[in-house]
Order: sequence, then C-alpha cells, then structure tokens
Amino acid sequence: MTDKPIKKEKRIGLFVCHCGVNIAGIVDVERVAKELQDYPGVSFSTNYIYMCSDPGQQMVIDTIKEKHLDGIIVAACSPTLHEKTFQEAARLAGLNPYQIEIANIREQDSWVHTDKERATKKAVKIVKSHVAKARLNENLEPIKVDVNRRALIIGGGISGLQAAMDIADHGYEVILVEKNPSIGGKMIQLSETFPTLDCSQCILTPKMVEVSRHPRIKLLTYHEVDSISGFVGNFKVRIKKKPRYVEEKLCNLCGECEKVCPQVVSDEFNMGLAFRKAIYMPFPQAIPGTYTLDAENCLGLNPVRCGKCKDVCDKKAIDYDMKETIVEEEVGAVVVATGYDLYTMQALGEYGGEKYEDVVNGLEFERILSASGPTGGAIRRPSDGKVPGSIVFVQCSGSRDTEHHLPYCSKICCMYTAKHAMMYRHRVPDGQATVFYIDVRTGGKSFDEFYQRTVEEDKVLYIRGKVSKIFKEGDTLIVWGVDTLTGKKVEIEADMVVLAMAMVKADGVQDLLKKLKISTDIHGFVAEAHPKLRPVESLNAGFYLAGCAHGPKDIPETVAQASAAAAKVGDLFAQKELSHEPTVVPVNDELCSGCGICITMCPYNARTLDPDRGVAVVNEILCEGCGACAAACPSGAAQQRNQTDNQIFSMLRAMLRE
Amino acid sequence: MKIHYYPGCTLKQKTTALDVSTREAMKQLDVELVEPEGWSCCGAEYPLTEEKIVGLAAPIRVLRQVQEEGGDVLVTTCSFCFAVLKRADKAIKDDPLKHKRINAYLRDDIKINPLTKERKTDFEEYKGEVRVLHLLEFLRDRVGYPRIRERLKRDLKSLPVAPYYGCRMLRPQKEMAVDNPDSPHLFEEYLEAVGCAAVDYPFKQECCGSYISVSLPAAATEASYRVLRSARMNGAKAVAVTCPLCFYNLDHRQDAIKEAFLDFQGIPIVFFTQLLAWALGVDKALLGLGEHSVPADGLFSEKSSPEVRP
Repeated sequence: MTDKPIKKEKRIGLFVCHCGVNIAGIVDVERVAKELQDYPGVSFSTNYIYMCSDPGQQMVIDTIKEKHLDGIIVAACSPTLHEKTFQEAARLAGLNPYQIEIANIREQDSWVHTDKERATKKAVKIVKSHVAKARLNENLEPIKVDVNRRALIIGGGISGLQAAMDIADHGYEVILVEKNPSIGGKMIQLSETFPTLDCSQCILTPKMVEVSRHPRIKLLTYHEVDSISGFVGNFKVRIKKKPRYVEEKLCNLCGECEKVCPQVVSDEFNMGLAFRKAIYMPFPQAIPGTYTLDAENCLGLNPVRCGKCKDVCDKKAIDYDMKETIVEEEVGAVVVATGYDLYTMQALGEYGGEKYEDVVNGLEFERILSASGPTGGAIRRPSDGKVPGSIVFVQCSGSRDTEHHLPYCSKICCMYTAKHAMMYRHRVPDGQATVFYIDVRTGGKSFDEFYQRTVEEDKVLYIRGKVSKIFKEGDTLIVWGVDTLTGKKVEIEADMVVLAMAMVKADGVQDLLKKLKISTDIHGFVAEAHPKLRPVESLNAGFYLAGCAHGPKDIPETVAQASAAAAKVGDLFAQKELSHEPTVVPVNDELCSGCGICITMCPYNARTLDPDRGVAVVNEILCEGCGACAAACPSGAAQQRNQTDNQIFSMLRAMLRE
Repeated sequence: MKIHYYPGCTLKQKTTALDVSTREAMKQLDVELVEPEGWSCCGAEYPLTEEKIVGLAAPIRVLRQVQEEGGDVLVTTCSFCFAVLKRADKAIKDDPLKHKRINAYLRDDIKINPLTKERKTDFEEYKGEVRVLHLLEFLRDRVGYPRIRERLKRDLKSLPVAPYYGCRMLRPQKEMAVDNPDSPHLFEEYLEAVGCAAVDYPFKQECCGSYISVSLPAAATEASYRVLRSARMNGAKAVAVTCPLCFYNLDHRQDAIKEAFLDFQGIPIVFFTQLLAWALGVDKALLGLGEHSVPADGLFSEKSSPEVRP
C-alpha cells in the first residue's frame, strides 16, 4: 500500500483546540489554524476553545458532512486522551475512524515550553507533519475476535475469593489458583477486624465454603501460575500443580499421620510462633480439607527412610511418588489478587525485631490475639509465656520514611494498632498500652469513632513521635522515643513491643508479574490503568487487579475493589466479540527474505516463520502495533498500517522543510 | 605491603597509645606505614559543620598529597579523622563545583611555598581517587582475617570484649557506607579474628558525650556511664574503642562516673590495635598502657593470654 500513488488529493480538515489556556496560553492557536489554511491538502481549518466538548465534536461531525472531508486532524492533547472521542465523532459522520489524526500540541508543546513564538512555530510543524501523514492514511476496519468467557483468578485471599464468587454469580466459569495448601490468605490469620470487632475467621470461612462449593468455580490450591500466553479474551494458561503427596479425595482428616510424623517445623500459619509437623493441615477450617506433606521438611518421601505416615494411613491417601504436573486452561480474563507481605523486621535493626522474641510484627500479634492461635487468644509474650504488663505499639515501622525505608503510608496500621491496643486492654485490664504515632489516620466509615473509643474508654496512651531504638535490659525491653508534642525524649519499659510493619508487595510476586508482562509501580505493586478513572484494570488488556496486590488497603476496600474487578470482567464477557486495533504490522511476502529479525524483535510473540514459504507471518490478534519489527526489518517488508515508512518519511520532510 | 597512613594530631600528642600500637601491630603483619609528607590536621569537626567550602581544604590537601605520592588508599584509625577525610572526599566527589573550587584554593596555597615564597609550576589537581579506609576495613579487606589468624602468637582465650563504635564511624550511613549503623558486624568480626569474644550490647553505637565533655562534663559523664554499664551488664571484661575522644570519655572519666553513679564498677578501656598488637606477640611495654587511667595491665598478662607455639 505504501507505493500506491495518491489517486485523488484528499480533503483534510484541521481543528485546533485551545484547551482553555492549556494550549492557547502559549501557542497562538489562531495563527496555527491560519498558517495551515492554504497548506497542500488542507481544505478547511479552524480553532475552538474545547474541541472535546459536545459543541466541539458536533462541529467536527457537521464539517465532515458539509465539506465532504476525508481526513481530519485535531491539534490538541495527547492521543491517549481523546483519540477515541474523535474516532467516534468521525464514525458518526460516516468517515472511517482511522482517518483521524491527533497532533499533540499540549503535552509535547505548550506544557513544556514558555516561549510563545517558538512554541507556536513548533505547533505549526507538528500539525504539518500530521497533514503529511493524513494524506496517506487508509481506511481500516477493526479485527474481530471471539471471547472465551472463563476467568482466571490468581490468589485465594479475600480479594480473590470475592472476585471469584462475583464472576461465578454473573454466570461465568472461574478458575481460582492459590499457591498455598488452603485458600483464605492473610485474612484468615487475623483475629478480630476493625471497626466492628467481628471475628475474622467467622466472617471469612462461610465465604471460603461458598467458593469451594460453587458449581462454576474450579479451585486449584497448591498450584502456581507458570505462564500465560495469548491476548485479551483468549489466554492460554499453564498452571503448575505442586505435589501434595496426599490424595485430596481420599484423605478423611483422621490426623493419624500428623501424630506419628517425627519432623517438627515452624508453623507459618502461626507466623513461626508455634510448630507443626511436616505433614499438616494449615488450620482446622482449611479448604480443601486435606493434609499436605511438605517435602522440604519431610525426612525423604521414602518408606525406607521414614514412611511412618504412609504406614498409619488407612485410606491409602499418601503417595510419595506424586510429581509436579502442569495443568492447562483457556480463559478470557485474569484477575491478579496476589496480596501483600510485611516489610521485614531485619530492615529495622534499631528496633531489634530479629534479635528479641518479644518484639513482634502486627501479624504475629494477630496470631497471639486469635482464638485459634498458639495461646488460644490469651495474650502471652513469646519468650517466656508471661502475660505482658505493658506493651508498646510502634506505628509506621518502615512506612512514611522517605530517607531509609518506604515513602508510602501502609494505610491500615493506624486502625489495626488501635484495635491491638484495645484488645490488649480488654484482655489484660491492668496492662499499660502505649502507642507511638506520626499522625493517626482514620479515614473510613466508623473508623475515627473506634479510635476515640481506644483512647477515651480503653485508656490507651498515644504519644506523637517516633521510636529511635529498642533494646533489652535484663528481662525488659527499653523503648527510646521522642514525644514531639512536649519536645522531650521518652524512655518506656515494656514487656512486649508490637511493630506495625509496612505492607509491601507479596514475596516473589515480581517474577509472576514479569511473566504476565503486567506493569508495576516503583514499589512493585500492580499498576492500574488510570489512578482515578480505571482503578481496577491493568494497562495490559484482559488483566484486572484486586486487593493489596495493587497497594495497601483494608478489608472493606479490598472487597469493593474485588467486586469492581469482577464487574469489569463481566463487561468484557458481555460482549459478543472483541475488536482489536487494526494498526498492526503485516508482512509483504514479496519483500520478506525470511531473515527472522522481526521475530526476535517482537515482544508479544506475534510473529513466526513460515518454514514452507520462508517468510515471516503475523498473528494479527497478538500484534500490539508497537512497531519494533517495522523499525528492524531490513527490507521494508514489515510496514505498520497507517504508520508506513513512507508516512514517517513524509512527516519528517514536512517537519524539516523551511 | 606499603600503605599511606594518617595518624592525625591527637595520636601524636595526647593519645600516642593508639599510634604506637598500630605501628607495632602493622610491623608484625608486614605492612609498612607511610605518612603523607607534611600532613596537617584534618580540621577535626569543622570541615563538616560549616557549609563553607574552604573548610574542606585541610582534609583534601592531605588526600592530594597522597595522590602526589602515588598512593590510592589512605588508612586512619581515629574515627574523627576517618569521618572527616571520608566525608570531605565524598563531598567533592558528589559536587563538581566544590571539586573545582577546592582545587582552586589548593592551587594557590601549594604553588607558593609560604617560607621561601618560591612558586611551584607543576600543580596536580586532586582527582578524588584516593580511598579513605578505616584500619578495621583495611584489616578485613586488604590484609584479611585469615592472615591475622595465621600470625597470632598469643591466645586471648575468648576474652569478652565489648566493641564500641561510637557515633562517628558508622553515621551518616549513606556517606560512610562502612556497615549497617543499626546492626553492625565489622568490629565484632575483627575481635573474633583477634581471639576475643565480641560482647553484644545495645549501646555500642550510642554517643559517649564527645565534645560536650568540655562544656557540660556532667552530660558526658552520664552518657559514658550508660555505655559502660550496658557493656558490663552484658558480660564484657573490657571495652575496645577506635577513637581517642571516646577513649578520653570512657577511660579518663571513670572517676567522675564513680562519683556520680554509686553502682558503677570500673572497666578497662583498650584500643582495638592494642589487642591486635598483643595477640601478634608485641611486647607489653610497647602498647602504650601507661596512658590508661583505668589500669588495663591485667588484660595483657602471660596468665590471661599465654603464648602459643606454632
């Protein structure tokens, strides 16, 4: 198409936008419109205060019809914002949407320059280059593709469970993948939840059961997503099934295996505050209800070495020969709900979290408070089991510290620290609870009332200031800090210290996200497509996000976001077919020498070599139109639609002329 | 091995024990110490406290001299000199303007000999390539603990010694970059290599009172008391220091501490190099033990640390 001569001169219309003063403040928009009036190819030129407004769009529609335009240039903001708007306007006027060109004179001109004269000249050049391109634009039609109406949820915490249930209730099939032996995530480890103090397990376990019984949800626990290929509506997923060494369906939870297992190891469900056996059930309400043999700690998966558990299992559920296998699934959408982890206490050496058993993090204290925890809900300190007579709570441990740690607020710590202090005062009425804080942030329904109750009714002492150091003298922890309201140093003796550690991206999740090609922010949290207007979608089409994988948030917010993500998946699945941008890079068979350079350049695996014909072929659905192959192709066989070499050179010529 | 060594003024005047024990120990390790010719005071605290660039001239002049003599490393023992030299060096490395201006100052004062008024024609700019190392770093990275262990002539029998970093050696972390200031290991590993047992105690990087010793002695007395009390409580028989000012506060001030705090029991303070020299077989008379207020002789006896036969 590039070497076709232009048969008939196009009639191009130019619309220059003021964007209030955003553009007009620096660029003389009237002059731009005027200078282009007689430019070759331009048959109509005007300017208007807000092109994106209703009257602005109507002007475009009316002008196309009246003046019989067959190409449009809107000189305005970045095409990421309003290209779609004007494509739609063109469609309404009966013009092919791919005849629309956006000349960016805001982000690339008026916003970054201060000299009016030079900015105006630059705007003229930018517009001229787009005229040159528009003259060669062709009519294109979107590529249509079917949708596979099944969703994959990665992560079986509260966000994954909520999203799974909502999507399944919409009537679509769901595959829920959880890397741990049971679903439940971090929420199942919590004791009470603020601000209503309902028991976390009591409100979560019904949801877990519901998910596990839902006819449209396929639960894959102890599985990990290995890779995802394909594109929105048509993903192929490879899922690793980790060997559990116990046949889920046969295990009747008699528990005999656990009794005879000689290997005692640290219990991760109880945050290392208790022990479990190498063959274990993570917690009594675990779903699926089955034992799991952790091969790392087992004496050797070998009846010669030990084999005690296998001997006592009446149901013959234990199978040492299980191997890792791969499950393949096809889905149309993916919800990333991979959760969070806590910032390591090692990073805060001055607080001694690694050194002293009685300095614990928030999740450890949740286990100490929990009725299903190692102490049955009685508050006892880990070192010697003594009931602590005083506890110091340190908020913002690692959060909001731009110089040394994490610059962001972890959002939930103010509330859960208030809850911790309140619970402690309820269970140890003569105990002294002291909280160090920077500010108390209680934005949320009924949150501030809860905090006020902690201070006023439960008499928790709040000190505004940071803790500098925690160390042990004899049996007691000494906490050094500062009270910034009085300007005095404070030293407090405590039996226990609870650090409200910052929330960080889930451990190991970066490898997965890299494989999924999902962008993250600088802290490794999944990035949303737009911080305000598209908060539950990834920029990568077909991927949605929910919960703390996206950033610190509390349970209500997580649930709301999960439901929102599920609704977005519903939007996608409700479409008859999906359309894919036609601005892809096809191959000109006659020019292609089959060198394969474009195949190595393609980040989307859209290009392959046809061995019979010796030329590259393109899967147009996979092609995202990035143009990497077109730039690399030595023979010019790879030409992007409406962005051909010819068009690029004519843009350059238009810009460099004079 | 030949290496540039900057003793600093205190080591030449009040606290020669640190200097002599360093020299004796290095002899045993076949390290030849060369002082940069005509070195001056590093400026102690001043180059770091003022924004004025001229203050940096003193430490940079020393580093330029090392460069002129063909050295690429400068080793010091005094924590103050170490901090000043290292931070001054970093300040001009990070800031091209400072780098330019300092060299302009140096060009003038080095070109003209103040005594003879003779003008030098060849001035070499300080390029910022001399590495400032604390002797503890030098021993770890360039000499290596295995070599120290090989040459030990005395068995210190796991003498429990509390390493005292003080305030200057580790902070600010981004500039000093020696070790994690909240849970350091450098000094502990060194003590273990020499044959002592490093005592872990929470006050190892708390301040001893430093210069406040001059204007508000009672504050320094209390600060030093807390350090020493914590060391003793955790089982230390001695406290090892690297800085002459820490030594002054922790050692010479013990009489005042006893007066102010009745529960206080004395504890000998030693320089880290005295332990090394002794373990390497240096004669007790060459350790500078006469400078101690709290007698430390008991630690350096044949009985407590006998010679070992290879």
